[in-house]
Amino acid sequence: MQKFREVAIVGVGLHPWGVFAEKSMPEMAVEAIVEALADAKMEWREVESMAAGGYLWVSQREGMFGILSGTAISSAMGGIGIPITSCANACATGGAILREAYLAVASGLYDTSIAVAADKSAGGFFRPQSEDSQFDLDYIRYVMTGETNPAYWAMECQRRMHDIDTTDDDLAMVKVLTSKPAPYNLKTRYKKAFSKEQVLESPMVCAPLHLLEICATSDGAGAVIMCSLDKAKKYTDKPVLVEATVIGSPTFGDNTIPLTYLSTYPRPGVGILTESRNAIAAAYKMSGRKPEDVDIIELPDNSSWHYVAYLDCILQAQDGEAEKMLRRGEVDPVDGKLPVCPSGGLGASGEAVVAQGLFQIYELVKQLRGEAGERQVKKDLKVGLAQTYGYAGNNAACIVSKAW
Amino acid sequence: MPAKKQVPIIEGLFTWPSDKPQLIASRCKKCGTVTFPKAAFCANPDCQKVRENVEVIKLSNSGTLWSFTTQIYAPPAPFKKEPFEPYGIGMVDTKEGLRVLGILTTTDNLKTGMPVEMTAGKLYEDDENEYITWMWKPVG
Repeated sequence: MQKFREVAIVGVGLHPWGVFAEKSMPEMAVEAIVEALADAKMEWREVESMAAGGYLWVSQREGMFGILSGTAISSAMGGIGIPITSCANACATGGAILREAYLAVASGLYDTSIAVAADKSAGGFFRPQSEDSQFDLDYIRYVMTGETNPAYWAMECQRRMHDIDTTDDDLAMVKVLTSKPAPYNLKTRYKKAFSKEQVLESPMVCAPLHLLEICATSDGAGAVIMCSLDKAKKYTDKPVLVEATVIGSPTFGDNTIPLTYLSTYPRPGVGILTESRNAIAAAYKMSGRKPEDVDIIELPDNSSWHYVAYLDCILQAQDGEAEKMLRRGEVDPVDGKLPVCPSGGLGASGEAVVAQGLFQIYELVKQLRGEAGERQVKKDLKVGLAQTYGYAGNNAACIVSKAW
Repeated sequence: MPAKKQVPIIEGLFTWPSDKPQLIASRCKKCGTVTFPKAAFCANPDCQKVRENVEVIKLSNSGTLWSFTTQIYAPPAPFKKEPFEPYGIGMVDTKEGLRVLGILTTTDNLKTGMPVEMTAGKLYEDDENEYITWMWKPVG
């Protein structure tokens, strides 16, 4: 395989996560871009290539400008004629556009690039985007089975509790842990830490998942600026090397029925969440790293089930290793041996679908640089991993590290 | 007053009218891969994309509950269940090897691995019709 040139993240920006009914998505993107450019000490005109996140709920908000978000955002910043792609990978879009922007620079075609996404999912979106009863499987699934996202997660969770020994306490402890740093993250939405009792007393949404064990949906925007590592010192003393940025897709025979589908045809030896396992395997292969090299993780904790399922996936561990690590206190987001979701995770932010991957990358960069303020993790950091997981079998993951 | 007509919310997904409704799926004659709803081509990456290889089948009316949950709050439109009360949803394994979604007829005493059989049930009605979908019912 031909070697590409090395690429570093030199600037990051994040619009806070929350509810912003009065702002358009391009407007939120501009705020994130302005912060990222200031962080990189770069001018807008120096950006040579852009990858933007394609919003999903376009039949409800912003229509064409949601799909064609890249050119809408560029017009809001002021058009400079650069190549722009708008990519749709559902909740994995943030990670996917990181890859597109990375490839633009790694290939040698462009010296700088930006990955930017804005998303307004607050108000509990996630519903079919057409009423096409012939070809829109998502619509068919939804009206005929009434399966919501939490119901899907609850079914996976229930199966895990049947197969391993995951307990209601484990699921509640996930929220206790992820909410611990939330009061110290100025960019996140919910800044409250919760006790186990509060989590277990919160209403049941879809058994066995309680309200506080399921993330909300939010508005948010992020921007990540990259350039070739050899030019990074012009922009920052603390370049963060992109060691791997990958997208995974499902393997035929996956035991999961992915969201928006009605069935799967499980094949022996294939397992669940293959889009995620495939992305993780590719990330380790591309970077040459192993799970034990990872110092800090941002994973997609849409629910407490995700946290344990994804921790096992990211560490390529036996099913149930995550629960053991949780119970041993190893994944505390501030002083754990392996801090997980130091940002407060999706539990504290709520999901701003296509921008969520950039929220995670922003956190990893701040933590690696030692700029996370009161939620700075205690241990020395070198290597971080972020993963997101989306509708219909979309997935993205990245591995980044200190390059100073 | 005659009983209302029972109408599938979307036609063509299961056999109706029927005492033992079955999902209408497709199966590859070469490798056995089953898909629901029916698809034009076999979804096996190692199997040729030849339309004639795929046949329409009626899926077994009985299955095993692989997992389940209770949906406690009413999902927003376009899903409609009136009057609303919490309902069960499950993933069911059929003998053809398919794992498929469906509403469950009850929220009580559900257990992983229990045998279920397919029926149809009403989600809502209007002056003329009852609107139905397929549902899985615990047996025995």
